[in-house]
Amino acid sequence: MMEIKEVCSLPGHEEVAWGVAWNPSGTLLASAGSDKVVRIWAQEGDKWVCKSVLADAHARTVRAVCWSPCGNYLASASFDATTSIWSRKGGEFECIATLEGHENEVKSVSWSSSGSLLATCSRDKSVWIWEVNDTEEYECASVLSAHVQDVKQVRWHPTKELLASCSYDDTIKMFKEDNDDWCCFTTLKSHTSTVWSIAFDKTGSRLASCSDDKTVKIWQEYLPGNPEGIATKDNEPVWKCVCTLGGYHNRAIYAIDWNHRTGDIVTADGDNYIRIFRENECSDKNAPTFDLVASVRQAHTQDVNSVSWNPVADLLASCSDDGSVKIWRIVTTQ
Amino acid sequence: MASNFSGVLQLTDLDDFIMPSQECIKPVKIEKKTGKLGKIRIEDDGTYFSVSETGEEKKLEKAKVTLNDCLACSGCITSAESILITQQSHEELYRILQENKLLIEGGKEQETKTVVVSVSPQARASLAVKYNLTLDTVVQKLTGFLKKLGVHYVFDTSFARNFSLIESCHEFVKRFYDSETSPQALPMLTSACPGWVCYAEKTHGSYILPYISTTRSPQQMMGALVKDYFATRINCSPAQIYHVTVMPCFDKKLEASRSDFYSDVYHTRDVDCVITSVEVQAMLEKESISLADVEDMPIDTELSHHKDGVLVNHAGGGSGGYLEHVAQYAVKVLHNSVLSSINYRVMRNADFKEVVIETEGKPTLKFAQAYGFRNIQNIVQKIKRKKCDYHFVEIMACPSGCNNGGAQIRPEVESPKDRFQQVEELYRNQACLLPSEVSEVERLYREWLGGTGSEKAMRMLHTKYHGVEKTMNILNIKW
Repeated sequence: MMEIKEVCSLPGHEEVAWGVAWNPSGTLLASAGSDKVVRIWAQEGDKWVCKSVLADAHARTVRAVCWSPCGNYLASASFDATTSIWSRKGGEFECIATLEGHENEVKSVSWSSSGSLLATCSRDKSVWIWEVNDTEEYECASVLSAHVQDVKQVRWHPTKELLASCSYDDTIKMFKEDNDDWCCFTTLKSHTSTVWSIAFDKTGSRLASCSDDKTVKIWQEYLPGNPEGIATKDNEPVWKCVCTLGGYHNRAIYAIDWNHRTGDIVTADGDNYIRIFRENECSDKNAPTFDLVASVRQAHTQDVNSVSWNPVADLLASCSDDGSVKIWRIVTTQ
Repeated sequence: MASNFSGVLQLTDLDDFIMPSQECIKPVKIEKKTGKLGKIRIEDDGTYFSVSETGEEKKLEKAKVTLNDCLACSGCITSAESILITQQSHEELYRILQENKLLIEGGKEQETKTVVVSVSPQARASLAVKYNLTLDTVVQKLTGFLKKLGVHYVFDTSFARNFSLIESCHEFVKRFYDSETSPQALPMLTSACPGWVCYAEKTHGSYILPYISTTRSPQQMMGALVKDYFATRINCSPAQIYHVTVMPCFDKKLEASRSDFYSDVYHTRDVDCVITSVEVQAMLEKESISLADVEDMPIDTELSHHKDGVLVNHAGGGSGGYLEHVAQYAVKVLHNSVLSSINYRVMRNADFKEVVIETEGKPTLKFAQAYGFRNIQNIVQKIKRKKCDYHFVEIMACPSGCNNGGAQIRPEVESPKDRFQQVEELYRNQACLLPSEVSEVERLYREWLGGTGSEKAMRMLHTKYHGVEKTMNILNIKW
């Protein structure tokens, strides 16, 4: 039996809380909100407290946050069309760069596994890739206009320089570097409405997506010459939808995260639920089934906007339209 | 709907599948007639009829947004092709030619328009590769094709580019001297690419516009030459000339529509209509003829860049060679020296190159070429942070520059990259002449403009830019 137990509810954001993200060592939680600030939370004794408030960088809502793989930098994406880079020195955060260029609301930001690339996406339908040089300067390496609508989220592959994005155009697109520019090499189509969020598994050979169509889909990579005999084109891998989880969610699913330690998938939705799914070990790898193993009804009093697995502990963070940020403990009992 | 504008303009357009854009803030003017409301019926063909209570039917007028409205609006840069089609297309050229025919038939020859077509060298290169012809042959065939349709004069916009290059050189040196006291004099950013100019006006306004060269693009130089100099020369009013350009890029249509290039006195534009390489292809297809089968005719050399009747080009690449011409001139004037060769250093990608000129081992002049949106971004952000140490940047919205323009003919078999290589190679393999080597240009400066830097030269050869104020509509925000 698995249970999701509330550890604490963290008040602080004065308006909608939009995004949560754990640092790589799992000791700090960053949260972002409509109050234009980022809050940094850490444990003191057995209490979680707000250690810093990162203010004055954004003129509008902060929609998403992402830590660099080294944990020394935090990126915040805002509706003011900019992305800010914060450097953490000791307990202090300093805004060291502001990435401008998007035409309007930036919706998501993601750091590549090497930490040398950053991706952002916006309502302007574009995905941007930024390169970080030695002097902490960020230069635009590519502007990708593959989507035909608002791009909701960007996520890098856990080890490779491969980027995935999802959009209001109902698709997921994947990008890689080709000669001296980036290009979209595949489009994943199956969702029938906005794809709100995506998450790679630990190996990066699978991707989970969640949508306004109330389903979760699991996509699997098939390399050229795969033993399953799945056809590939132009010597590129293909991504196939191998599982659709329908019937569990009653409203749009806004966020998804794949636990790289346990393999569990967590979702957050517009029905105020948090749910955890686990792959059935007996199921076929090419047609896996996932079971709902735990859920919290009324996890928040309004839409749950973001969920994030703690990378080292059995903890989960979530945040909501109701302005609260919550930390949950996953308890497994026999 | 995908749009035909360059990537830069497409990016700023938010919802181009709806026309006009959802964020279009230009209120469409509707002539309201008072009276009782009736029903509105939509016909199968999309026309609207109002049906009054008495059953009287009346066709309703369509609301129209013009290209000029779009330029003045911050909501989007519209890509609605129907707007282009109604104002600037080969259909419009056909309409004018047809009108001329009818006027002649009706014995009203004096009311016909003199149709002048100015063809860009990039469009010719695209057509040459498409129809597997030499550039010289394309010049003759295209002239033959256009004249057979009823066009009176065919010119070459490289001739006008002589003026763009000369003015850019002078402007750069002036800005270089001014930069000691004026912080916004340098870097000088080129202005020949309308996609870039439009983007800068809509998104960067006062931060960037002072750096953009006021020199007109070759298309608009040609406009001044045709509607001012040439009109006077052939003794007719500017409005009596219908001036068409053939361009590698759809954004040129926006440029021609700018109010800066409209004469309130004569009620005419310097360039009345812009058609593109792909539209010439469409015209040939409409006439069911291959360019190779068209009868040759010589181009009108009066306003063409030529040597002994054969067209020549400018050195420095497919986007006009601004960097090279300005670098050479600057070294001559500022260093009293001669730049024997230009060494490009490829920076972060092939579309971002640098030319550094050293004197006594120290870099004294830094030039760059930044093509494509990502490189434009990095330049713009550097300027905003006052970290841009270039003196001059040749900026083009399209990756690889104008020979890769959005309206160049797309290949059917080979890859777009291979096609571009062929066009670029053909373009670069032409003989070149420096603007200073063209005696006709010198004569025009003297006789038409009253000398370099005269009031008339400034008016005819330069332009202005206008920042577009951003308006935000809260209703349009989507989470």
